[in-house]
Amino acid sequence: MEPTKMASPKSAPKDAQVMAQILKDMGITEYEPRVINQMLEFAYRYVTTILEDAKIYSSHAKKSSVDADDVRLAIQCRTDQSFTSPPPRDFLLDIARQKNQAPLPLIKPYSGPRLPPDRYCLTAPNYRLKSLQKKVSSSAGRITVPRLSVGAVSSRPSTPTLGTSSAQTVSVSAKVGTPVSLTGQRFTVQIPSSQATVKAATPTTPTVQNVLINPSLIGPKNILITTNMVSSQNAASESNPMKRKHEDDDDYDNL
Amino acid sequence: DRQTLVAVLQFLRRSNLRESEEILRREARLHGDDLGGGGVAAVASSSPGVAAVSAVPPGKVCICQLFQSFLCALAYDNAFAVGGGIVVEDQPDVSAVLSAYNQQGDPTLYEEYYSGLKHFIECSLDCHRAELSQLFYPLFVHMYLELVYNQHESEAKSFFERFHGDQECYYQDDLRVLSSLTKKEHMKGNETMLDFRTSKFVLRISRDSYQLLKRHLQEKQNNQIWNIVQEHLYIDIFDGMPRSKQQIDAMVGSLAGEAKREANKAKVFFGLLKEPEFDVPLDDEDEEGENEEGKPKKKKPKKDSVGSKSKKQDPNAPPQNRIPLPELKDSDKLDKVMNMKEAARRVRLGPECLPSICFYTFLNAYQGLTAVDITDDSSMIVGGFADSTVRVWSVTPKKLRSVKTAADLSLIDKESDDVLERIMDEKTASELKILYGHSGPVYGTSFSPDRNYLLSCSEDGTVRLWSLQTFTCLVGYKGHNYPVWDTQFSPYGYYFVSGGHDRVARLWATDHYQPLRIFAGHLADVTCTRFHPNSNYIATGSADRTIRLWDVLNGNCVRIFTGHKGPIHSLAFSPNGRFLATGATDGRVLLWDIGHGLMVGELKGHTDTVYALRFSRDGEILASGSMDNTVRLWDAVKAFEDLETDDFTTATGHINLPENSQELLLGTYMTKSTPVVHLHFTRRNLLLAAGAYTSQ
Repeated sequence: MEPTKMASPKSAPKDAQVMAQILKDMGITEYEPRVINQMLEFAYRYVTTILEDAKIYSSHAKKSSVDADDVRLAIQCRTDQSFTSPPPRDFLLDIARQKNQAPLPLIKPYSGPRLPPDRYCLTAPNYRLKSLQKKVSSSAGRITVPRLSVGAVSSRPSTPTLGTSSAQTVSVSAKVGTPVSLTGQRFTVQIPSSQATVKAATPTTPTVQNVLINPSLIGPKNILITTNMVSSQNAASESNPMKRKHEDDDDYDNL
Repeated sequence: DRQTLVAVLQFLRRSNLRESEEILRREARLHGDDLGGGGVAAVASSSPGVAAVSAVPPGKVCICQLFQSFLCALAYDNAFAVGGGIVVEDQPDVSAVLSAYNQQGDPTLYEEYYSGLKHFIECSLDCHRAELSQLFYPLFVHMYLELVYNQHESEAKSFFERFHGDQECYYQDDLRVLSSLTKKEHMKGNETMLDFRTSKFVLRISRDSYQLLKRHLQEKQNNQIWNIVQEHLYIDIFDGMPRSKQQIDAMVGSLAGEAKREANKAKVFFGLLKEPEFDVPLDDEDEEGENEEGKPKKKKPKKDSVGSKSKKQDPNAPPQNRIPLPELKDSDKLDKVMNMKEAARRVRLGPECLPSICFYTFLNAYQGLTAVDITDDSSMIVGGFADSTVRVWSVTPKKLRSVKTAADLSLIDKESDDVLERIMDEKTASELKILYGHSGPVYGTSFSPDRNYLLSCSEDGTVRLWSLQTFTCLVGYKGHNYPVWDTQFSPYGYYFVSGGHDRVARLWATDHYQPLRIFAGHLADVTCTRFHPNSNYIATGSADRTIRLWDVLNGNCVRIFTGHKGPIHSLAFSPNGRFLATGATDGRVLLWDIGHGLMVGELKGHTDTVYALRFSRDGEILASGSMDNTVRLWDAVKAFEDLETDDFTTATGHINLPENSQELLLGTYMTKSTPVVHLHFTRRNLLLAAGAYTSQ
């Protein structure tokens, strides 16, 4: 925004002139011209909110008109919601004294990456598999590719293995336990048996789990994973050059 | 009136004087007055110029109490709706209210009192005048605030008009803010002004001047001012010659006056921690086998940092286990070995040998560059932007890679020598990585010393820890609910400090989701936080124009440095830990001796805010970068030699700053309209600077 294109003060409406004067009084000399508009909008919105609240209060008190006390009350109530200010000094000194009394905790040696307990970290998967029954009937025979991050598909013989997350794991791994048998291009999914295991697994393993892939089953060729399951809503999709062959958007519509 | 009663009632309740409270309540006929103690102060802030919209409302809104007060207001008509309704006030407001009623002098006479004092001071002897002039500013502000607090608006305005021009030029910013406070409601939202009202402004005056003043004020017509002086000012008396105007001007300027003598008396361990001695593998670098003392090549040379010939403990260094520090891992040891090798090739800087400066300009940074950091080995540079992204670049030809996924990691050969290379995923190699996560401009960034983690703090009130191996966010530390202005990792890793708009600095450890220490005491936002090289102390610079040094062990403030005339934006510790350099919006760089707690130097030259300060690796040169698009180099060795730091200076504040800024300035290097945001000396003493190109 070039500041040269400001409206000349003479032709600006009175409110804008007042706002410009306020900015000047507060010592602000350099600003984009949009600032005045934003400030005016803010002032208008604030004042109308307060006056509306004051009207409500005064009508509740069965007064005939809005008076200063209603406005004051409206201001007070709004301020606690939007314009909070930092805590007062003595409160800060108080909590500081409390916090500073505790000695510094000792550091455990050899403990890998030092992070807070998992529930305070942002390392958990941020998606959850949808329940499985819905999709079974509707999408029989349709080829869908679950959008997985690498490391998610379990090979048939093995059940999902639980691994602890170390500093070097990629953050997301899906919990899809759809066993697939990769025999060339097309294959069927043994749904009934797997479903039970998956469902049993899901509620009990809320933490990140690493599911190992049997490398022999994955080749550089096309891998089509036929499932009748839902594809996982993988928001944190890493680059999966091996997996992402079909991107079926219908899945997202149905989810 | 009613407000006083309410305040007194609260006070009685707090002191558990139930019976007196009941009696008073009955006599004053206050009914249904269920003011729970310690609630939220219901404030009314209606000044458009200072709209402080916070992102996260604090969780302490007592809706039921407000509603109760609302009902009371209705039921008793206007009986309680006095001056802002029923206010659930907490302790300082109570005392403030009470104190306000203590000296309810006649408002119209305030101007008389002030001009009388002014006349007296101007007629006093020259040697005393400078010291007594220090009284003008705090008295002016306190009297004005009192008039406003007691709702004498017109008197306050005329008082302000008449006398605000007499104040010193460096207080003009404060006075401008003050001029917008015309009603009592305006004051309630402004924490800084409230703190100013309740804390005592410290003045250091010699005994002679003080007695002169006292004698004059205790004559009966000036009793009002004497009351104010006693209430709001703390006069630290010293025996000795009165100070000259120049000496005083150097030290004043902060919102809280100067520092009391006791504030700077605590012992500070400013020495460095002993580096652990370990064997440097003498593999192929045989020509560097000689250690610095020139002794013949040994199989196991000692690690030598700053000439550690003495085996015994430096008396000024903290004990090794004063604060728990993480142990050295193998990767850390390798890093130290690299550091030593680089140190051997380091260029010795001095007035004859100035460093070369390599400037990294951020072009097309229309996102608004707000923070920059460079790793210690100068391999990566991070930029925090106003569009809430954090971007990491690799400065060396080696690209940034993230670690392979778990599946691939299981495939690699863990026993191979280059396992650390193999765990990296080549497909993700790029020179730039963008990290998304914050919801507000990123104001501070800091790499960890082992280059595994990156911290960023932002206006959304959180500090985020990012992993530089997966380039994802690991933790968000929530504690400040207001913009966080600066953050820094400790030189040994594991701890980090953050400071923000809530006027406190917090010490965190990466594995605790709550802060370990809270450093409260500043009167205004904490704008800059730095660790001491021995990680035992933290320096915080603030918008109240003071720098405080805090002890990590127990959270105490051990030093207060006043003298800047604007908010502080940069801090730098000297590598030997003894000195601190600070830069502020007034364009001056001040040098402080930590051990004695004194100002020892002033470097004038910059014309705009000094945003970056850095000492060279061995402490010979101080580089400063500023908004006036220049980098200046100063001779640090000369600035710190021959210091007059004895007890007399400490006690009286009789500092004699030599006017040698010109001699100390070794060079001024101008950029082409690029303000300098960050400075960094590489391990070989090459100076790197960073800034974003601004086209006007």
